[in-house]
Amino acid sequence: MKKINTMVVFLVIFSFFLVAQTYGTEKSLLFHAGLGQRMALNEIKEVFEKRYPDTKVNFSYKGSGYFIADITRSEQGDLFMPGEEFYLLQAVERGFLTDYNPKTDVPAYFVTVIITPKGNPKNIKAIEDFAKPGIRVGLGNPKSCAIGIWHEKTFKKAGIWEKVKANATLSAKCIPELGNATQHKAIDGTIVWATTAVLYLRDVDIIPIEYRYRGIIRLPVGVLKFARYREEAQKLMDFILSEEGRGIFQKHAYAVNPGIPIGKEGFCLDGTTDKFMEYLVNAAKAVKDESFPVTKETVGDLAEEVLRQRKTERAGD
Amino acid sequence: MNMALGSRGGWWPALCVGTAVTIVAVYLLLVASNWIYLGWHDTLYFFSKSRMWERFWLTVWTSTVSTSFSLLIGIPSGYALSRFRFPCHHLVASVIDLPIVVSPAVVGAFLFGVTTRFPFDWISEYYGVYIGRNVYGVLLVQFTVTAAFCARLMKASFDMIPTRFESVSRSLGASPMRTFFKVVLPMAKNGIIASMIVVWARAAAEWEGLMLFVGATEGKTDIMPFAIYLDWNGGMMGWVTSMSIVCILMAVSAITAMRMIGGRSSVW
Repeated sequence: MKKINTMVVFLVIFSFFLVAQTYGTEKSLLFHAGLGQRMALNEIKEVFEKRYPDTKVNFSYKGSGYFIADITRSEQGDLFMPGEEFYLLQAVERGFLTDYNPKTDVPAYFVTVIITPKGNPKNIKAIEDFAKPGIRVGLGNPKSCAIGIWHEKTFKKAGIWEKVKANATLSAKCIPELGNATQHKAIDGTIVWATTAVLYLRDVDIIPIEYRYRGIIRLPVGVLKFARYREEAQKLMDFILSEEGRGIFQKHAYAVNPGIPIGKEGFCLDGTTDKFMEYLVNAAKAVKDESFPVTKETVGDLAEEVLRQRKTERAGD
Repeated sequence: MNMALGSRGGWWPALCVGTAVTIVAVYLLLVASNWIYLGWHDTLYFFSKSRMWERFWLTVWTSTVSTSFSLLIGIPSGYALSRFRFPCHHLVASVIDLPIVVSPAVVGAFLFGVTTRFPFDWISEYYGVYIGRNVYGVLLVQFTVTAAFCARLMKASFDMIPTRFESVSRSLGASPMRTFFKVVLPMAKNGIIASMIVVWARAAAEWEGLMLFVGATEGKTDIMPFAIYLDWNGGMMGWVTSMSIVCILMAVSAITAMRMIGGRSSVW
């Protein structure tokens, strides 16, 4: 009988916790955000919660592909920031999001860059090099990740898609897979977002793409139709879109300048992002070489990221 | 049974032992290579971070709580399945097997269907919380996945106890409940503890259901396996490797504990 008593006591205490939690007075926002934005958004959450102490931000990080199903089933959530505009448009199409404006609701952009294993063993310098025989290229699967679509678009624009496809040795389902394959020298080169490349500074070399083939990808945010705290959600969204919020994204290798001239297909029209590319290349050098100066002039806003990765041999924080 | 490996036909035991040793060597190599990859400096660095141990304790306490609830359900239902013949007991046994057979991802998806309907939608609205988006969601997923598993293991434990002891106890005038607590439960103790550890390990390894149903909030719902996935996506291989090592150590201790406690039961 004693055992039963213990269990009952335990149950009562537990349900007390449950009730205590639910009676909390603070407003907590449910933010559906893509896994890839984790580092930047965690920083934004910190700043935002300090500014508005009665609003808490709860992320529900998942792979972007899971969100539509989640939102459809649960009809829950205040904000939505998937890893690709494609998913947000799906939400718009289903009426989960009513006021998306691609001109104003994009706090940050992905930029495409080439990454190769440390030392660039196959000497890849430009897009065209991927077509050379004997290069092991990693491509994304266009059905499961946006980078795959961009691989196809970029190489088709350069007129070498068939040759590159023949060189492909990896069909990745998500973008970190490409990063890891490069890090472990399983492929000789691939194209990823700058935000992904920056995570592997110690083990990869970064090669900027000529601006004609440099893709700029919108990363939008929106308030969902079923938002429980619409006002607070809008406040958070405004903060993300503000100069300060964008600054945080910039520290994690997102392009944030809304004025980058982009063609209809999504490629750069001029060298506005060249400086940013230079910072990225320098950051890769700085992590590998302790004597490389880390200043605003050399690595721009990536200094924090460089210092973080310098701390350990295997990236962590 | 001591068969000399050199005697006639000794190649067969030698082959079997050889296979066992090889597969163990492969697993040890996996762990060792990860550790070498991480390096000594980084091992110390990551193991000294509070974030690692916060996640570790989160994993430990959530699995412990959900295992307790699973046991509350699993012990009586396992006993029922093992001893009593009630209408449709075959059907019940099959349904109980479901969460073991179907992927936990499916369980996660189904939980949406339940928690967003009456009366939960009403509770959620009234208290202004999202059911399942916090640590209780983790517990719910772990419990849903492991409860049936637990009942199954308990059934196996009770099956091994001869019914004669119960008959004797009943014939001496003890009530069914008294018989259960005084005779069956003590006899099944080893099996129950062994199953409990398996259930615990299963709960601590749950990830797919969480991915669908809960999503990760740092420091709140990211139990170890989920955190490994998160950090893998963030390119933080140091975290991934060091957390994998902690997970392996956790699993090894769980299995060793099970061997020591439930040594005489054959559930496992």
